[in-house]
Amino acid sequence: MAQIEKLAIDAVERARSLGASYADGRYIEIEDESLSFSDGSPESVNRSVDRGMGIRVLVEGAWGFFGTSVINEKEISRAVKYAVDIGRASATLNDKPVKLADTESFKDDYISNFEIDPFEIALKEKLEYLSELDGMMAAREELNTRNSHIDFRKTVAFFASSEGTRVNQKIIHSGVGLELGISRSHRERATRSFPKNGGQYECKGYELLSEYDFKSEIPRLAEEVQALLAAEACPSKTIDAVFEGSVVSLLIHELIGHPLELDRVFGSERNFSGTSFATVDRLGKLRYGSPIINVFSDPTHPHGLASYGYDDEGVKAHKADLIRNGILVGYLSSRETAAMISARSTGAMRADSWGNMPIIRITNVSLAPGDMTFDDIISSVDDGIYMSTISSWSPSDDRSSFEFGCEIAREIKGGKLGRVFKNPTFSGKTIDFWSSVKGVADESSWKVWGTPNCGKGQPGQNARTAQGASPILVSDVKVGA
Amino acid sequence: MINENILGDFKKALKSSRADQTELVCESEEFYLTRFAENLIHQNMGRSDSTIWCRAIFGKKIGVSRSNDITPDSLIRLIQNAEEIARNQKDDPDFNSLPDSQSIMKTDGFYKKTFDHSASGRADAVADIVKRAKSDSLSCAGTLQNSGTSLAVANSLGTESFASNTEYRFTLTATAENGLAGWAQAAGRDIEKFDFKAVSQRALDKASYKTDPVQLEPGNYTVILEPDAVANFLLFLAFLGFGGKLLHQNRSFMSGKFGERIMGENITITEDPFHPQIEYLPFDYEGAPKRKVTIIENGIARAGVYNSYYANLAGTQSTGHALPPDNSYGPYPKAMVINPGNYSVDEMIGSTEHGIYITRFWYLNFLNPMRTLVTGYTRDGTFLIESGKITKPVVDMRVQQSMLEAFSNVEMLSAQQRLIPQYGALMLVPFMKINNFNLTAA
Repeated sequence: MAQIEKLAIDAVERARSLGASYADGRYIEIEDESLSFSDGSPESVNRSVDRGMGIRVLVEGAWGFFGTSVINEKEISRAVKYAVDIGRASATLNDKPVKLADTESFKDDYISNFEIDPFEIALKEKLEYLSELDGMMAAREELNTRNSHIDFRKTVAFFASSEGTRVNQKIIHSGVGLELGISRSHRERATRSFPKNGGQYECKGYELLSEYDFKSEIPRLAEEVQALLAAEACPSKTIDAVFEGSVVSLLIHELIGHPLELDRVFGSERNFSGTSFATVDRLGKLRYGSPIINVFSDPTHPHGLASYGYDDEGVKAHKADLIRNGILVGYLSSRETAAMISARSTGAMRADSWGNMPIIRITNVSLAPGDMTFDDIISSVDDGIYMSTISSWSPSDDRSSFEFGCEIAREIKGGKLGRVFKNPTFSGKTIDFWSSVKGVADESSWKVWGTPNCGKGQPGQNARTAQGASPILVSDVKVGA
Repeated sequence: MINENILGDFKKALKSSRADQTELVCESEEFYLTRFAENLIHQNMGRSDSTIWCRAIFGKKIGVSRSNDITPDSLIRLIQNAEEIARNQKDDPDFNSLPDSQSIMKTDGFYKKTFDHSASGRADAVADIVKRAKSDSLSCAGTLQNSGTSLAVANSLGTESFASNTEYRFTLTATAENGLAGWAQAAGRDIEKFDFKAVSQRALDKASYKTDPVQLEPGNYTVILEPDAVANFLLFLAFLGFGGKLLHQNRSFMSGKFGERIMGENITITEDPFHPQIEYLPFDYEGAPKRKVTIIENGIARAGVYNSYYANLAGTQSTGHALPPDNSYGPYPKAMVINPGNYSVDEMIGSTEHGIYITRFWYLNFLNPMRTLVTGYTRDGTFLIESGKITKPVVDMRVQQSMLEAFSNVEMLSAQQRLIPQYGALMLVPFMKINNFNLTAA
């Protein structure tokens, strides 16, 4: 690593000598291991290592970037030259030089929280784990589709900037999930997934796998699959709705996290991901939700999928309020966008690899827990619906409206969960929805849910984000099928 | 970017393998992209990378390993890693063999001018758009990218394939002060054939409409879809139904329906990697030659696309549509063509008494995959058609529509086709006039 650090530091210095007013070099090495089982057979076992270095420069007030996977002095020199040339080309059009909000410079080593390094666990043991999980599902004879997977990632990174920051980071992620179902014909089929659609991912080691009691969950899920096959479609009506924590997690992601990305607010995503209704003139004024809605960014959380020591422009991770008592009070920002609102960066600038420029990404963005238990919430609903496990999501490009689908819904009558509905959907306007939140469940059902596949940017980047959430009760929700 | 010499490195490395069968695949790319918004370049980048996969097989045990280090030592480590994985795997009873060596058709999709297009060339192109946009008080956001890609595949059964191509892609959203937006995009292999001015002007013209948008009631409308919107649907249809894995698992909307009509008689969809406008690489990620496949013929489901694994299960030949070895999605078409019709776009609009012109969709997602029911929004250029004329912009609406039903209700297809990029795929598609298309309030 010392050699790589030297290459990155030399690259930064070389960029400065070629005319860059600012430069940073990022070496990133990502090791992935993914194993999956499908219907009793191992479907795939994949291992990969991806590493390279990206050089980002500000030349004449404009950005240039070049990344390469060939790590030697000659190639890094080429990368620096290309980055500076590209920056110079950008400057020909830009009459507003980029300004960066101040940040301290750091020299630090950061290692994420984990107990067992999953890359120290033998492949055989991992395959046995999946085989056992598949066996638990196979014990339910009615199930004829069974999928399970475990995934591990280790990221080793070094960041050097022309402002003197030198940071090494090592971060480990683990994931686990299953999907089971019954397929009788092309149209007659039902599935359930657990812990959520696509699995649960956290900033943890191999210990994550032992946190789930699949043995007791699988019979419940199997019964729900059978109930779905016999169920009526979710009725179309406007009604009180309770949303399971993992559903709330994606609602936070799509309807709070994305619209509060400050690059998006300033139009950088206009051509792709879209804009935001939460414009800067509304900061401190916009009633985003009911007074019990408190949302914050916190990449220092020990186990979020966006937990890190420093973002990809060397800003130290810290907690920042986004919505306080229902009012918009902050954004997810970078040094460049923070300077545009005379603020400091919230440390949300990340790239998905060495080969892309960092952009603002959702961090661990969480809805603070409330004061009702989940049972209190359900028993407070006389006539309503309970939505579980997101299966589909579609927000508008400015995030002001949405339509989502879930795997399963259950009727709530007289404070008790009742019959199952299939193909439930719900839709609405973002501000109306969050303003109609009447209850937020407490810490006992609060969890940080990982989203390992958040797409944004051109070229497309796939970020890992997380959202802390507990179940919520919302009035007047438009549901259907 | 790699050249054909890598096949020599592969040959040497394959000799070190102790597996029964071994495959090495390398995809190498030199990629440049200039991104602009608010009439400024805010992101401008280049990247040079090579991804290499090894698939090692002992009997019916398969191991896959991936790296982006293409040095000879790394190749040996990659093979050893794949071997270790394979040894620890359980048998995959459905695996038969890697593909044998087959003759590959030569294609010529590499254009030096595209590959060499410089950062200053991209900046000049953007400056030209911005100048035109500013003269009409518009704000522009978009991307201009150019890249070169090489793919090399070798296996222990004698397969040795290498090919390169180039690609440019351009996207533009122009926005007026009242929020009205227009979109255009283009793609191709040869940037010298790209009419940059004409394509960008499409977006500028849409955003320049002087009338404020009107709100329409939810309902079933006659719509005219631009090729971008058609391609948005085609991407999802392919995802839901055209691949051999989905067909094998009985999860495709075409499962058990070959020979049956599932769309309108005027719809023919082919996978045509050799179409002169598409010029896809002539083989897939396991070195099998790409073949032209008629997927839908006059509305009748005819065939899916296959890699060697699912072709074996289906008792057919690979059509050359394998994705990289570590993907779990199965085979996928990346060069689809919808046959054109006979109408001009003006005739399609002129024949519409009351309808909506849709430029593109946004954030389509499945609500009910079995019904091919998707939800999403219209975006960046939605207009009302009254008495055969586009009269005013429309506030964007939510789409909630079965795609198969939509493709069964196509009244007219344009003679004009456009090449539309959709993630890793290129699609050559016409405009469509569709009746009974469901739009709801956004």
